[in-house]
Amino acid sequence: MLFTSFYSPASHWLCISFFLSCTVLLHLFKGFKWFEIKIRTPELVFIANPVKHVLKLLSLLVVISALWIGLLQASIIPQSHTWLLPIYFIVSLGCYGLFMVGVGLMRFPTCPQEALLLQQDIAEAKDFLKQKGVDVGSN
Amino acid sequence: MELADRAVGFLLTFTSLSIFTYYTFWVIILPFVDSDNFIHNYFLPQEYAILIPVCAGVVLLSLLCIFIGLVLLKSKKKKA
Repeated sequence: MLFTSFYSPASHWLCISFFLSCTVLLHLFKGFKWFEIKIRTPELVFIANPVKHVLKLLSLLVVISALWIGLLQASIIPQSHTWLLPIYFIVSLGCYGLFMVGVGLMRFPTCPQEALLLQQDIAEAKDFLKQKGVDVGSN
Repeated sequence: MELADRAVGFLLTFTSLSIFTYYTFWVIILPFVDSDNFIHNYFLPQEYAILIPVCAGVVLLSLLCIFIGLVLLKSKKKKA
């Protein structure tokens, strides 16, 4: 089964060093602030230069998968560890997405003063329309 | 209400961080620990480190397909 056949600490160290070199490769994304993919206004999500960002992401994925497959084929990492890297990255991606959603929810700006001004505007508009004879008819 | 939003947000961040640390610990750190250490009692056997995300992903994909199928059927029924 996985992780039990011819496992050795040396091969595991190789996996770990591979993961760390992936973080070094993440310098492709130097200057891109991870925390800026958050909801700035309630309707829009901003990423600057989306096409360049997608291309960078794809190239990073290609490099990482090429290195991983190379390491597997050269029998440096045993075959039982094949699915270690992709599943770890997918799980961490899901965790990152969930984390961003939670942080965005916690920091959501509710603007209580604007809400009050809005209520006043609504009351004003209702009075105005009632004077002119239009029945607004809510509540 | 603002407080309910904050509570839900906090719950989400907490679960995501806990899942990430547990999974990292499980996959990366645990193979270095001796096999008769007490910490192994708190973690499932290592085969489940791959089975559980794969099963969860399969369940998620199937739920997605069921949802899409239901929506398509409902729209077709409305047109006919």
